[in-house]
Amino acid sequence: MIETPVPAVILAMKPLAPDILFFSLQLDTGTVSSNFSFVPGQFLQISAAGAGEAPFSPVNLPGDDGVIELCIRKAGHVTAKLHTLQTGDYVHVRGPFGNGFPVKQMEGQDLFLLAGGLGIVPLHSLLSYLVMHRQRFGAITFMYGAKEPSALFLRQELQDMACTGNIKFMVTVEFAPEDETGKTSCNIGLLPDLLQGAIITAERSYAAVCGPPALYKCLVGELKTLGFKEERILLSLERRMKCGLGRCAHCAVGQDLCCIDGPVFPYSALKGIEGAL
Amino acid sequence: MAETFLTYNALGSFLVRLMQIGTLHGPTLNDLGVLSFNPVTSPDLLQLNYQRTLLPPKKYLLPPQSPILHYAPTEGYTPAKTPGDEILLFGLHPCDLAGIAYLDRVFLDDRPDPLYASRRERLVLVGISCESDEYCFCGDVGVCPTAAAVPFDLFLSRQDSGFRIRTGSRRGEEIISWAADIVGTAGAETRPAEAAETARRICHAVGKRRMFEGSTLWDDFAGRCLSCGACSLCCPTCYCVDVREYGAIDGQTGERVQEWDNCLFKAHGEIAGGINFRKTRQERFHYRFLHKYYGFGPLRDVISCVGCGRCRAVCPVGIDLLELFGEEPA
Ligand SMILES: Cc1cc2nc3c(=O)[nH]c(=O)nc-3n(C[C@H](O)[C@H](O)[C@H](O)COP(=O)(O)OP(=O)(O)OC[C@H]3O[C@@H](n4cnc5c(N)ncnc54)[C@H](O)[C@@H]3O)c2cc1C
Ligand code: SF4
Ligand code: SF4
Ligand code: FES
Repeated sequence: MIETPVPAVILAMKPLAPDILFFSLQLDTGTVSSNFSFVPGQFLQISAAGAGEAPFSPVNLPGDDGVIELCIRKAGHVTAKLHTLQTGDYVHVRGPFGNGFPVKQMEGQDLFLLAGGLGIVPLHSLLSYLVMHRQRFGAITFMYGAKEPSALFLRQELQDMACTGNIKFMVTVEFAPEDETGKTSCNIGLLPDLLQGAIITAERSYAAVCGPPALYKCLVGELKTLGFKEERILLSLERRMKCGLGRCAHCAVGQDLCCIDGPVFPYSALKGIEGAL
Repeated sequence: MAETFLTYNALGSFLVRLMQIGTLHGPTLNDLGVLSFNPVTSPDLLQLNYQRTLLPPKKYLLPPQSPILHYAPTEGYTPAKTPGDEILLFGLHPCDLAGIAYLDRVFLDDRPDPLYASRRERLVLVGISCESDEYCFCGDVGVCPTAAAVPFDLFLSRQDSGFRIRTGSRRGEEIISWAADIVGTAGAETRPAEAAETARRICHAVGKRRMFEGSTLWDDFAGRCLSCGACSLCCPTCYCVDVREYGAIDGQTGERVQEWDNCLFKAHGEIAGGINFRKTRQERFHYRFLHKYYGFGPLRDVISCVGCGRCRAVCPVGIDLLELFGEEPA
């Protein structure tokens, strides 16, 4: 784990949506890049010099080349600064932090990955892992919901992975402009609606969910109705991570710390905690 | 080392000797008449019969604002310089020593922080026994099974004619040996330690995991609280910090700074986009209550209130979380 931010050069940037940029970074130091690894669901602290740092999940798995890929939404102080940078500029990186998805525990099970909006990022990385080790897992269903078709980014990459990995891929949007409805294979509706049509053997399935907080409340209820045990519903939480090291206490969820005990929690650990979701 | 005895008459010479050994800090009145730990320029400025300082000694270990990283385009981010010489911190009450013990457990043992360790290393802790008042209740919190032993280099227990001195470290023994001409051997004189009823109540209620969910006090507190944050600032065990980065005027370099934060501030539970996990004051009080009496993170299930009484004494609207424990049967 890297404790003091190390430089990474921006290899490429491209817009995915009006407020979201894809960044490809290259870690600078040979030693660091050769030892640098993370599991899907862990996060990195990315610094923009003079502005500060914020947590982001890598969108892909770590390569052995020290390349890190991120999707960053402009949401405030630090992210606005990151959005002003250009190819060739430097950012700084610390991490990885947090627990990540319990991929070993998920082996042999059917998996439902449910992404809302930008929650796609860590689940894209998880899906890459599952596809890479496809034979270790049962049936995999990927459900992706967004406000409108233009907000469904990484769609082509996901579709390609779904093809190679024998993964059931479903998308839904809250609304689509009239003329597009026919053309896209998009469902109109909310993520929980997609679940209703799915064939699920809850006792040998895990659900991994990432999205805005409002999504969790309705999805957890839906998953429980479908028979999912609370410890098989995995939620990735967002907090303002100020240190990632369990020292600043800024990310506490009840008596847990999101940066150490999370960000991925089984619902059973969150149930009854005021302000968890 | 055997206990030694310092008569009240010899206290002045003892303090002068300490000032020869190192930089002495202790409770003094500042220009505004506020009692606080400060550098001591003359022994007679020390206020040793004090109740409590406004801020606890945590400011020596976690300053209100402290640079953690420096940024320069050529070097990138580099760790902040660690502090300098030894400080002899004189006149710490047992509750404040317990506060330091708590911070030590977090930042030396469970979440090692090099900057904290370097600040801690340069402190020599000289404790002193105290007389409790209506606000404090440290007496028995120490008997809860989870409470940590109190660290000190020297501890002075007030007796009728002077202080009994205990040593708690090699450094403490060294200091006493340098003052061998001033201190004498301890006699049989001892005062019994006080026990506090409030502390017993807290341990009892916490043992039963009482959260007082149905209490009307929560609404009462939330209705009155000004969200000023004084109760956390003055708490010897509150260590929440925010981290900010400030670009320098040269437009090139910058400093990343750690600053005291506060769970009673609305922004503490916020994330980007304005979503807030603790929107209401009730929720923020529940959160503070949970963390003070049940602990969190590495010190889950460790009571983090050391009974100093500061939060009850400073609250401008007289809010006292301990009133909840009044609902616990004696
Ligand atoms: C595990 C995890 C994974 C995430 N993954 C992604 C992802 O893949 N993609 C993505 O887009 N988002 C992701 N997020 C969300 C992302 O972290 C937030 O959008 C981001 O933190 C917003 O930062 P901001 O500074 O732009 O926003 P703001 O809301 O402006 O945050 C401001 C913060 O900056 C502080 N601040 C104010 N002034 C200063 C100053 N002068 N110096 C320094 N700090 C200051 C404030 O105290 C506040 O904490 C993730 C979050 C988590 C927890
Ligand atoms: S909660 Fe109040 S009484 Fe307890 S240690 Fe903190 S300031 Fe002192
Ligand atoms: S000191 Fe009193 S008014 Fe201020 S935040 Fe604490 S409880 Fe609220
Ligand atoms: S981010 Fe600092 S404790 Fe979790």
